[in-house]
Amino acid sequence: MRALIIIFFGLLLAGCSREEPIYHMQSFVFGTMVDITIYGESEEDAQAISNDIIRQFQDLHNRLHSWRPSEVTALNHAYKRGKVPTRISADVADMIAEATDLSIKSKGLFNPAIGELIHHWGFQKDEFKPAKIDPKRIADLVKADPQMVDIVVENGKSYSTNPTVQLDLGGYAKGYALDQALLILRRQGVRNALVNIGGNIIALGQHGTQPWRVGIQHPRKPDAIATLDLPSGWAIGTSGDYQRYFELKGTRYCHIINPATGYPVQGVQSVTVLISPQPNAGVLSDVTSKPIFISQPDARAAMAKQMEVKDYLVIESDTKILASASMTKRLNWLDKQAEKHVVETH
Amino acid sequence: MWWKRTSDSRYPKPLAGDWFVIVTSCLMVLMLLNSLWSHQPANRLEVRQGDQIVGVYDLNQVRSLSFRGPLGISEVVIQQGKARFKHSPCSNQYCVHQGWLSKAGQLSICLPNHISLELLGAQKPYDSLNY
Repeated sequence: MRALIIIFFGLLLAGCSREEPIYHMQSFVFGTMVDITIYGESEEDAQAISNDIIRQFQDLHNRLHSWRPSEVTALNHAYKRGKVPTRISADVADMIAEATDLSIKSKGLFNPAIGELIHHWGFQKDEFKPAKIDPKRIADLVKADPQMVDIVVENGKSYSTNPTVQLDLGGYAKGYALDQALLILRRQGVRNALVNIGGNIIALGQHGTQPWRVGIQHPRKPDAIATLDLPSGWAIGTSGDYQRYFELKGTRYCHIINPATGYPVQGVQSVTVLISPQPNAGVLSDVTSKPIFISQPDARAAMAKQMEVKDYLVIESDTKILASASMTKRLNWLDKQAEKHVVETH
Repeated sequence: MWWKRTSDSRYPKPLAGDWFVIVTSCLMVLMLLNSLWSHQPANRLEVRQGDQIVGVYDLNQVRSLSFRGPLGISEVVIQQGKARFKHSPCSNQYCVHQGWLSKAGQLSICLPNHISLELLGAQKPYDSLNY
C-alpha cells in the first residue's frame, strides 16, 4: 500500500517536470504571420530547418507577388499586351496549369484571373480603405470575362488570348507554400511538425503521443469556436470575411470577390475545409474553401461535393452553421451556444 | 461507538469522518479542475515583433506597454488576466477591434506593424489556430 502511494506521487512529479522537445518559430512572410512548430528535433536542427523554410517562403512571396514587381506582374504586363509570348518559369507554369484545372472544376468560382477586379476593390494592398465603387467599371470587368483557360503556356513562354486577364495567386500561393514546406521537412527527416501560413495549416506526424490539435477561429470573436485533431498529412484552410475587409455605410466588403457578379461575397462569415493527405493537400486547403464560400447558400453542399471536399464547416452567422456529417464527428465545440445551431448536411 | 477504532490492524480502517474528508476533497479537486482547466486560464502574455519574442509578461498586473514596428508604436495594455492592443498605427485597426484576450491560446496580430500578442497558460487548448 505504501509502495503504491509512493509510485503514485512519483508519477505525478514526473508529469510536472517533463520538458517537451518542441521548437516554435514565428515570422512575417506572405503578408501574413507564419508559424512553424517542430517536435522531437534538437533546437539547433529545428531552427536551421525553419530558417530554410522561411527563406523558401520569402522567395515564393517575392516571385508570386500580385502587385509588387514579380514574375506574376511581369506576366500580367505581357497578358495586357495581347498575344506576345513572354518567358515563364517551369514551376509557375505548373501552378497556372493546376489553378486552371481547379478553376474549371469550381465552375469558374475560383478564378485567379480576376486580378483587375481585386485591384478595383482595393484589395491589392497591405491595408484597405473603402473603395470608390464604380458599378459601370465592375460590370465592364465582369463582362470582359477573364478566365484561366485564356492563358496559353507553350515552350517555356506564356501569353493570354484575353487582354483583361490579370493573375492574382492570393488564393493559391499560401497553399502551394504549405506543400513545399512539407517536402522540405520530409527531405530533412523531420517526422513531426505543424506549419501555419496565415491560418492555413498542414500537419506532419504528431505532437508527441497525441495528434496535432488546431483551433478554428470564431469569425466574430477573438476565440476559437471549435478544435479538431489534424492527423499527419492533413491540411486545413478557411476563407473568411473577417481578416481582409473594409466597411462602408455599415456594410462589410470582404476580399473574396464573386467572379460572376464582380462584388464581394456577403451573407457568410467563414468556410473551413479539411483535406486528406495528398501531394497538393496544401493547395486544396487554400483553394477549395473559396468556391464553397462564393456559392449560394443552398448550393454550398453541392459545390463541396464538386470539389471533392468531404469535411467542411460553413458559418453564416452565430445562429446559422452548416457542417458535413464527416466534419461534425471531428469537431470539438468550444462555443456551446454555436454548437446548438449546427445543421448537418449529407 | 462508531467513532472509536474497532480494528487493531497496521493500517487503520477509515472511519465515517475520514470518508467524508476524502470524498469532499476529491469533489473539490474535480470542481476546481472543471472550472479552471475548462476556461483555459492564461497567466502570461507573449509579445512578438517580427520573428523575435520581445517580451513575456505576467498577466496579473495593470500595465501599459509600447512596441515599435515598421509603421510605428503599438500600445498594449494588460489588465488583471487580460490583454489587448490599445492603439496601433495601422489603418484598418483590426488588432484594436479584436478587443480583450483572456484565454490561453488566444491571438491578436497587427500584421502591418508585425506585432503579435499571444496569451499563454498552463494548458493551451490547441497547437495552432486556423483562421
